[in-house]
Amino acid sequence: MLDLLAQTGLNAVYAASYISLVAVGLVLIFGVMGVLNFAHGELFMAGAYAVVALYADAHLPFFVAVAAGLVFVGLLGLLMERALFRPLKDNPLGGLVASIGFLMILQSLAVMGFGVRMEHIPPVTQQVIEFSEKVRLPVARLYVIVAAVVLLTALWYFLKRTRFGWALRASAQDPEAAALQGISITQTARIAMFIGAALAGVAGALTAPLVSVNPHMGHSVIVTAFIVIIVGGVGSLEGAVIASVVYAVVHTFVTTFFDGVIADITGLSLMLLVLIVKPTGLFGSRERA
Amino acid sequence: MTTFLEIRDLTMRFGGLMAVDHLSFTVEHGQIHGLIGPNGAGKTTTFNMISGFYKPTSGQVLLRGEDISGLKTHEVARRGVVRTFQHSTLFAELTVLENALVGTHMPFRPNIFAAIVGWDKEDRIGAEARAREALEFFGLDHLAGERAGDLSHGHQRALGMAVAYASHPDVVLLDEPFTGMNPEETRRMMGLMRNLRDSGITILLVEHDMQAIMGLCDTITCMSFGKFLAEGGPKEIRNHPAVIEAYLGGARHVA
Amino acid sequence: MLRAGIWILALAAFLALPHGLSFSQQEILVFLVINILLVASYRLLTLTGEWSLGHVVIMGVGAYASALYTKELGIAVPLSMLLGGLTAALVAVVLSFPLFRMKGFYFLIGSFAAGEIIRLLWKRFREPFGGAKGIKGIDPMPDFSVGFYRFDFFEPVSYYYFAGIVVGVCLWVLWRIEKSPVGLTFHAVHWQDKLAEASGVNLRAYRTLAFAIASGFAGISGALLAHYVGTINPNSFDVEVMVFVLTWAIVGGTATFYGPILGCIALTVLNEIVLRELGFEQMRPLIYGAILIASILFLPDGLESLVQKLLRRKAAPAKERVAE
Repeated sequence: MLDLLAQTGLNAVYAASYISLVAVGLVLIFGVMGVLNFAHGELFMAGAYAVVALYADAHLPFFVAVAAGLVFVGLLGLLMERALFRPLKDNPLGGLVASIGFLMILQSLAVMGFGVRMEHIPPVTQQVIEFSEKVRLPVARLYVIVAAVVLLTALWYFLKRTRFGWALRASAQDPEAAALQGISITQTARIAMFIGAALAGVAGALTAPLVSVNPHMGHSVIVTAFIVIIVGGVGSLEGAVIASVVYAVVHTFVTTFFDGVIADITGLSLMLLVLIVKPTGLFGSRERA
Repeated sequence: MTTFLEIRDLTMRFGGLMAVDHLSFTVEHGQIHGLIGPNGAGKTTTFNMISGFYKPTSGQVLLRGEDISGLKTHEVARRGVVRTFQHSTLFAELTVLENALVGTHMPFRPNIFAAIVGWDKEDRIGAEARAREALEFFGLDHLAGERAGDLSHGHQRALGMAVAYASHPDVVLLDEPFTGMNPEETRRMMGLMRNLRDSGITILLVEHDMQAIMGLCDTITCMSFGKFLAEGGPKEIRNHPAVIEAYLGGARHVA
Repeated sequence: MLRAGIWILALAAFLALPHGLSFSQQEILVFLVINILLVASYRLLTLTGEWSLGHVVIMGVGAYASALYTKELGIAVPLSMLLGGLTAALVAVVLSFPLFRMKGFYFLIGSFAAGEIIRLLWKRFREPFGGAKGIKGIDPMPDFSVGFYRFDFFEPVSYYYFAGIVVGVCLWVLWRIEKSPVGLTFHAVHWQDKLAEASGVNLRAYRTLAFAIASGFAGISGALLAHYVGTINPNSFDVEVMVFVLTWAIVGGTATFYGPILGCIALTVLNEIVLRELGFEQMRPLIYGAILIASILFLPDGLESLVQKLLRRKAAPAKERVAE
């Protein structure tokens, strides 16, 4: 029993890692752009397909493929900023709808480029860390955990310690005041979109060998990310990380002891509950229309 | 006989701030009653509690002896207490007539099944007649087909009152009805309010414009820092030492 | 007189339309009619200012309910369709308790979550929902004859006429509601909820009413679909379909009654006739996505704004003549 708990705990840590990468990116974009990016799950998918193309098909080293995926998806973020969110900056619902349009485009591009079938990706490493006979952590999962910790720490440092970070936080809190202080809204929007998208992309790229990659994988990712950002409080980066952990633990344990669908229902119910009781989220205080 | 509208020990606390502190006063039927006080005295908060926008921390609002505090806004409205809003809060996208028609919601409650089958002809005719009557009362009948958002400021204010009037209210709560009006518009608005009173409607208004208040009100209640300060006719209030002091303390707020 | 003429012309067009079309095009016509009801009911919901992402799942509720009523309880198909709509409305009323504690953006997300929960329940419970495979072999509409015409529901043309009549009646009801004082109150709730409340409008009740009516008609459209295609599963009502509805509404515009219907027809024609003929069928989501983005960017008021401009240009000279 203890072994099972420990193993489930490890699984939860892994899940929390990639979920928080996705959710933090989504919150960052929402905070700075004021738009809920429905295409975020498809950015995750795009990162996964970068690994399919470069690692599985072109046989480049795995981490080169991951890095390329990060840059590629970051650029997709820039494209969205320029083509969709900047022209629609006075129309948050319009931005959301446009992101749904973008989602469909990415999805059908994936179908056209790779087909609807699941991609087989050769394992990056077969190594497994054995804590005991029944408690094991595949090294491929460890990569994801390490990447999440490193990237989120770096992001935290960037936001708290650099001028760019300061500008980003300022324009997230009050765009007009930020503009008055000489912060370029366009510049901060670009940075936020690049980082936010790239985080989703790198999460998709790293987990690609561990999950079933297909053009419709973004759906469950975005649903999870929504749950997490609502529970954590829309606009709170720390809240998103904490909520990722909470969600991953709940979901992993319910999956282990009941089944996956029940776990999904539990997650969504949790989110509805938070929406009903405290719409600003458990860790958020700000509200944005 | 019970009092018409009684505010009893009304209190509102926002965190540590006492916005309204055990306020009590009564409003007589058929009067124009003014609620004044320096900025931050808690007038608007009081107003919001009477109209059901806020639930008071403690205390009561009694209408003909019935406690209406803590009811929802539409429930308060259905008991005959209808409010207007600061600024020009209207259905800007709808026409002037449609605005007034929304005001007839209470006397002519829409019924969806009757509406589909077409058995509500009489109600629709009645509602439109009432809406046009309200527009006429406020001199807006010639603008019935205009978009409400396109009206002049003074007309928008009058329309706000017409929407309230259309619902056959007993009490109308007016929130700073003279703000942003020129003297001519103010004078005309005062005339409209007297007409309203003479048609049997009690008026409670919050206002900064001292001149208008003094020329219009039958009774004035003055509050300061959330507390009751003084009450009386315009002459009494004008010469009341406590009132003068309260306003001198915040002299720059006197309009 | 002119009006009556237009109606007769429209009726003739409705009756003549399927003739001369291929079998598959006739099938598309059936779906078009069903989708028109779906998108028109969606517009009623948007009247109160709320945009839901669960509308298609609610349509599914009607479909599942109607299919199960016939299958499990042996209720006659036309009656079960009606009950399916009623069930969808009832589910909406239940959902309104949590959902209407939220507004705007939060309502959008909340409705999405509620819809996903319902879909997961269908997936999870094989009894009675059939799990991921859904329900198969749903009773078709029984054939009947009205003297001069025999409805043979193996033929899409017959189902087109049948669904067309049902949808026509539903649209008429929706239209009557919108033009009634109830419809005006929906508008009032949308534009200034505070003022509406001060006029004695029970906001919660009216929001729920709009949600329930919209859901009821969505449920009927779902039931029409279920008894035509014969098989439904959780994926028949997924987000992709919701995006189509959203696209129809936005491309057409939601300021008028006909806007969303216009959007639905225009995109169906584009999709089924142009794309299919050119062999771009596979790119359907891509083109829908691109159209969605393009219309948000370049035609934010929808196709209806073009129609309005056209009508105004025609109406303006006529008015001047009267003035002289």
